Amino acid sequence: MIRGVYQNIFNFVGLVVLQVLIFNNIELNGFINPYFYILFILLLPFETPKWLLLLSSFALGLSIDLFSHTLGMHAFACVFVAYLRPYLLKVIAPREGYDAGTAPTVKYFGLTWFMKYAVIIVFAHHFTLFFIETFKFHQFFATLFRVILSSIFTLIIIYLSQLLMVKR
Amino acid sequence: MRNLLKILYAYHFLILFIVLESLSLILILENNQFQRAKFIQFAQSVSGNLYGNIDNFKAYLSLKEANKVLASENVNLRNKLEAIHKVEREKKDTLIDKYYKQRYTYMSARVINNSVNKQYNFITLNKGSRDGVIQDMAVISPSGIVGVVEGVSENYATVLAVLNRNFKVSAKIKKNNYFGTLSWNGLNSEICVLSDIPHHVKIAKGDTIITSGFSNMFPEGIQIGIIDDFDLKEGNFYTIKVKLSNDFRSLNFVTLIDNLIRKDQFQLEKKTAHD
Repeated sequence: MIRGVYQNIFNFVGLVVLQVLIFNNIELNGFINPYFYILFILLLPFETPKWLLLLSSFALGLSIDLFSHTLGMHAFACVFVAYLRPYLLKVIAPREGYDAGTAPTVKYFGLTWFMKYAVIIVFAHHFTLFFIETFKFHQFFATLFRVILSSIFTLIIIYLSQLLMVKR
Repeated sequence: MRNLLKILYAYHFLILFIVLESLSLILILENNQFQRAKFIQFAQSVSGNLYGNIDNFKAYLSLKEANKVLASENVNLRNKLEAIHKVEREKKDTLIDKYYKQRYTYMSARVINNSVNKQYNFITLNKGSRDGVIQDMAVISPSGIVGVVEGVSENYATVLAVLNRNFKVSAKIKKNNYFGTLSWNGLNSEICVLSDIPHHVKIAKGDTIITSGFSNMFPEGIQIGIIDDFDLKEGNFYTIKVKLSNDFRSLNFVTLIDNLIRKDQFQLEKKTAHD
């Protein structure tokens, strides 16, 4: 349990640093940004208290905001996704339910299940984030297009990272 | 209390979610110029719409009243027209004024927001710079003066009302042309104070007060009100209480007046004062 806490703090710091130093500087075609850091929210263990889930997601979003001059936007999207997570996990639960002491990772539930889970969370996050950023529904489809492209890009990176984790 | 805590605990996830999202939203609006501008634009369009709707409804309710006022104004104008025709007929063969120019233009507007209970009252009109409203235009209603245009946006204009302690206008007594300054003392929304009338002038309750036309905003002869009361407390000058002919509580349609040669007059006066 304690090891899990350290592991997650390490995830938090590591992902923020990665996002700020590397992924924030990747801009394909000028408008495709990967937001890899939400892997942290994806990987939190099942037993995480709900309030901690929200607060840590808020802190995560805020740290990203502080480094990218978008105060509040990432925090908003992260808290939204964190709120969504327990309900989503309930919907896509395997037939036997979740075993105690496990986390929603590839290690326990396989790559297919994990990607199903990741697609929904990533899309919800990017959707919220991009629409907060443009702050209007004018040109809805142009924004949606950006959401989809960036989601795909983020998912590819998440997929590759999980492959590496499993190999190791 | 325990039940309250129970409810708080049962819904803590939702409550914390709402709190954190609100916090994020506040941060976004506080720190990001673009989102802030958009939000304010949105809020204003909502409140503007609401005001507009309320006002439409009110206008409908007072339709009868408005009709009456318009009818009486029509009668007045017709009478004036007759008088002008008469003068023209008399003068026709003696003088044609080639240099005559139109001096004032008129434009009608609706009051969409109004107050009478503050010390500095302003009125909002539904015409703005798009309709040609500019600062310092005079505003009157069929029953008397209303104020002066103070601020203009694209679609709206705010009016410094007579019922504003910053408002001053040059006014005169109709029967003998003595003039003074009319202002509002902030006490009663029906009473204004006319000062600077010397003590030897004969006045009586019920005398009509009109604009003097010196202020280069209002044309001469617009009704302001009638004398309600006067005293001589301050030595050589009367303090005259004027009962306004306009009921500011029920303003609806007003007329904006632009003085086309105001600039001319203003510059000349300024030049003369400097010399």
